[in-house]
Amino acid sequence: MSGGIAVGGGAGVAEVGEVAAVGRGGDPAWLRARRDEAWELYEATPFPSTRSEEWRYTDVERLLPLGDLEKRPIGSKWSGELPERLRRVLASDGEGAGRVVEMDGRVVSARLDPGVATAGVVLSSLADAACSSDPVVRELLATQAVTASDGKFPALNAALWSDGVFVHVPRGVKVELPIRLSRWVSRPHTPTFTRVLIVAEERSRIAFEDEILSPDFESATLASTAIEIFARRGARVRYVSLQRMGRRGCHLASQRTIAERDSSVDTLNIALGGSVDRVDLNARLVGQGASSEMLGLYFGEDGQHFDFNTSQDHVAPHAHSDLLYKGALDGRARGIFRGIIRVHEGAQRTDAYQTNRNLLLSDHAVATSLPNLEIEADDVRCSHGATVGQLDSEALFYLMSRGLERGQAERLVVRGFLGEVLSRLGRSVVADKVMRTIEAKLVR
Amino acid sequence: MKKSPILAVRGLRASVAEAGVEILKGVELEIGAGEIHAIMGPNGSGKSTLAKVIAGHPGYEADGGHVRLRGENLLDLEPDERAQAGVFMAFQYPVEIPGVSIANFLRSALQARLEDGEELDLFDFQDLLTGCMGLLGMDPSFAQRAVNDGLSGGEKKQSEILQMAVLKPALAVLDETDSGLDIDALKVVAAGVNALREENPEMSVLLITHYQRILDHVQPDAVHVMVNGRIVESGGPEVALELEAQGYEEYRRTHAA
Repeated sequence: MSGGIAVGGGAGVAEVGEVAAVGRGGDPAWLRARRDEAWELYEATPFPSTRSEEWRYTDVERLLPLGDLEKRPIGSKWSGELPERLRRVLASDGEGAGRVVEMDGRVVSARLDPGVATAGVVLSSLADAACSSDPVVRELLATQAVTASDGKFPALNAALWSDGVFVHVPRGVKVELPIRLSRWVSRPHTPTFTRVLIVAEERSRIAFEDEILSPDFESATLASTAIEIFARRGARVRYVSLQRMGRRGCHLASQRTIAERDSSVDTLNIALGGSVDRVDLNARLVGQGASSEMLGLYFGEDGQHFDFNTSQDHVAPHAHSDLLYKGALDGRARGIFRGIIRVHEGAQRTDAYQTNRNLLLSDHAVATSLPNLEIEADDVRCSHGATVGQLDSEALFYLMSRGLERGQAERLVVRGFLGEVLSRLGRSVVADKVMRTIEAKLVR
Repeated sequence: MKKSPILAVRGLRASVAEAGVEILKGVELEIGAGEIHAIMGPNGSGKSTLAKVIAGHPGYEADGGHVRLRGENLLDLEPDERAQAGVFMAFQYPVEIPGVSIANFLRSALQARLEDGEELDLFDFQDLLTGCMGLLGMDPSFAQRAVNDGLSGGEKKQSEILQMAVLKPALAVLDETDSGLDIDALKVVAAGVNALREENPEMSVLLITHYQRILDHVQPDAVHVMVNGRIVESGGPEVALELEAQGYEEYRRTHAA
């Protein structure tokens, strides 16, 4: 295997370090060891096949020809101008508490509002923080949230990650405006592996918006992300992922949130672009009174394939989780939602809800919805529900009877359907951006 | 002297699409400009079907005859084109459209009437909306609520009347708008219809109802009785009063299928 790892093929451990540490002067020993261990797990873990329940509807080998991916030095610095589309996004995002730009798997800039920095908030390149052996990073990076033992791809990411973002919010510090991460993936056929680690200490508050963009590609191009979020006692964290990649962009995200006593971790996953998007989200409620609102929104067209695999783990009693995923599917798009609420033994007084709704806009679009419950406590309130429906002909007639032409009536119904998720966010840059993208899809 | 009709229904036959069950079996009806006509009839007589066929509901198929609005055959038109031509139907069961405000919806509906490239003036629209809500005695915040989503039965009907006020149709068809309303809500709706007529005396109204009581509040020029897919009697307001006294039994016997 000359000079290439050909991800999925089998690379030597020596090459692993080379990829990740390019331009960084090498990893500290603890990190090297962690990568080696992850690589071993990656090699020992069989490739997910559609025979396994979790990957039944997403044929990774067919949809993501990982064996063909080439190894390139993904660590090389971005040179030259930022692409026009990214610059437009950066310009329109407005005010935030911080801004990170990541190009092809490497952070090129990380800026934090000086006032927020003075309060002790850390925002940095994850590679920088790891190389300087930040104690929090050393303790929590890939050890408790998204670990190499979670599966084939989390292992691969833990072995090969090149960079990402580290956010640390000290006790009691409330950051009002969001910190934004804008990622750009440009190299066709080249995988990127990145991570985000957010640690919100007791009673702190932080919002993080993570957007990934790319041009259209000629061949499948993978962006793998691992998101680890820790909310300590009484902390509030909001995380938004907005995927607007170009054609043949493939996004594989592993996310785990850990909510301690009286904390809240709210997430929103939005999939609009790319060809394949697979999100594994696990919300763990480990402290009494913890809560998680989990929102999802997707709009697929052509042959887009979106697969959400969520779990709500109620470990502690008196915790609350509420999941709502809604998607519209046009063309030959495919949407899969598989969600499970697990109420562990002793997690009494759990309040957990799970809803997935799909709207099919074409006869060739397919939605698969698999909600599930696993309850080992007896005093709980849980519900789950799923619907797959078509545009309601009565609603269309109603709108047309007021003078709207069919296409316009359809757009209004779709906008209203998806708008329910965004309205939970309130007015925000994300909601405006998503609505604009949806509008553009609807008039095509 | 009778005005030239706004609406002329001739020999209209219609059936449930797909099932092919004939419901309207040759309806004749003529409504002049500014007139209010009531159609009464027992359940299953086809009176609601007539309203839906006029508005172009996809669940029904016209098998014969015509429905002309100011000379144009509505049966050749899509529902949105009928609306543009001047038809408005207030629904018996207004459909909920979550996430879309009444104001935005009405703005889109008015915008749809304009030529390509023309933009609705937002200030004009706001004035129109505020004016209509004032006329109907409605709270301005009402227009910010989602179309029928989370509205009570009475509020839904009020929202229908508000839409009618803004869209200013030539022909308003009220499809059992009074059903399911308590007397107070019914009075509010009736007052709305009367206020609109005062504002726009040329507007014709086709009022479909099972009960006489709304006719105590909206005075009709003509009352028709529909049984088994045909209009079997027409006359003045006295017809409604006779019906109230006798019920539909007599008609049912003489006009059985």
